[in-house]
Amino acid sequence: MTRRRRRRFGTSLLRLFTVQGSWNYERMMGVGVGVAEEPLLRDLPGGVDGEAYRAAVARGTRFFNAHPYLAGLAVGAAARAEHEGVPPAQIERLRTALSGPLGSFGDRLVWAGWLPLLSALALAGVALGAGWMAVAGFLVLYNLGHVLLRSWALRAGWRHGARVAVALQTPVLQRASRLVGPAMAVASGFAFPLLARYLGEPLAPPGRIILAAVTGAGLLLLWWRPGHLTGVRLGLGVVAAALVAAWLWP
Amino acid sequence: VSLDVQLVLLLWGTLVGLDLVSVPQMMIARPIVAGTVAGLILGDLNTGLRLGVVLELFQLDVLPVGAARYPEYGPATVAAVSAAHLSAGGLGVGLGAVVGLFIGMLGGVSLHLLRRLNARAVHAAAPRLELGDTGALIRLHAASIARDGTRAALVTATGLALAWGTRVLGATLTPRGLTVLAAAAAGAALAAGTIGTLRLVGRGPGLRWFAVGLGGGVLAAWLR
Repeated sequence: MTRRRRRRFGTSLLRLFTVQGSWNYERMMGVGVGVAEEPLLRDLPGGVDGEAYRAAVARGTRFFNAHPYLAGLAVGAAARAEHEGVPPAQIERLRTALSGPLGSFGDRLVWAGWLPLLSALALAGVALGAGWMAVAGFLVLYNLGHVLLRSWALRAGWRHGARVAVALQTPVLQRASRLVGPAMAVASGFAFPLLARYLGEPLAPPGRIILAAVTGAGLLLLWWRPGHLTGVRLGLGVVAAALVAAWLWP
Repeated sequence: VSLDVQLVLLLWGTLVGLDLVSVPQMMIARPIVAGTVAGLILGDLNTGLRLGVVLELFQLDVLPVGAARYPEYGPATVAAVSAAHLSAGGLGVGLGAVVGLFIGMLGGVSLHLLRRLNARAVHAAAPRLELGDTGALIRLHAASIARDGTRAALVTATGLALAWGTRVLGATLTPRGLTVLAAAAAGAALAAGTIGTLRLVGRGPGLRWFAVGLGGGVLAAWLR
């Protein structure tokens, strides 16, 4: 890879950190993907004034949605396909085909795995007295995985081009996807009793009874009415009722 | 709290609001991070950590997939820590949660409005985008990020103003009332966090792993 192309990869990677900056209900993250792809298209035949560049930039900005950390796979793959002269209709199909798998795989790996796993560990750390160090550890570890994933996605997309689907079969990624779910479940289970103790500690005994009662009733209500009652609604309802109780029985 | 500190909180809340969706998604928007740093800014780390934990538990009930609409807890946590600090410190967790949950809802609504504004801007720029006009593309993207920054600043400022007003509310409550409020908020947070996690874990083998962790957690809590 030439020095100039490496620099353009760097620019593209940096822009990928803003990929959802213009997220909207019309093209979802399409505009952000176009912004990230643009540096990789500058050396298409004719350069930045050429027809190939303009057509590719226009295609890059159309509707697209995926997990933001894996959007680089689509960016790299589409840019490589443009350089290889793949017909425009096929590039559009490639983007459409990638949208679903990149979304569901990323959601499973990151939003439902890596993030809640580290969040649970940080919460347990705070409950065990590690304080801000548990929070700093969360930030460092999470972003190690975050930056590696974004960087790998862009490089893998460029390497595989139109055959990018094979990148998701990478053994390391598959193993991570299999392990992160159980690890998250164990860490979360471990954290909750410690959190109950941490939150109950500063309360007088009647306060602890209220805490236990509200937790139990909240669990039942949220379990009984999924989709209707969300955590934030339950929270607002409970604190409103507690405020009224606090005023009526000071 | 001096004006300088309020301005630093406003800046922190704005960065936190930008982080959630726009840039760079490094999870400073998580309540546990936003609350801890807000606590450090206010010189009240303990309150920051405690409210960070409470609102992080509410956050566990949210899965930010696709075009889902959800509360925004980052700037809300900054406001919540400020409210608790101004009102009653450690016992102000409940008052902080009131502010945090309300501002979280407001933040969620503001995100929906932002996405609609972005859609309108994209619609207006569509002819130039279809011509491959790079200048128009970059301007559109940068303007959207700036719009999100403004939104995050407004949400944080509203939260900080509400936190200031909450002092009056806090003064009307006895220590017992504050305890009831704190216990209720913590209980609702534990319930929301547990249900949100169980939804991710599912009923398959994940539930067994959760039970294993739960056993270990009970043992660790008992030994402490």
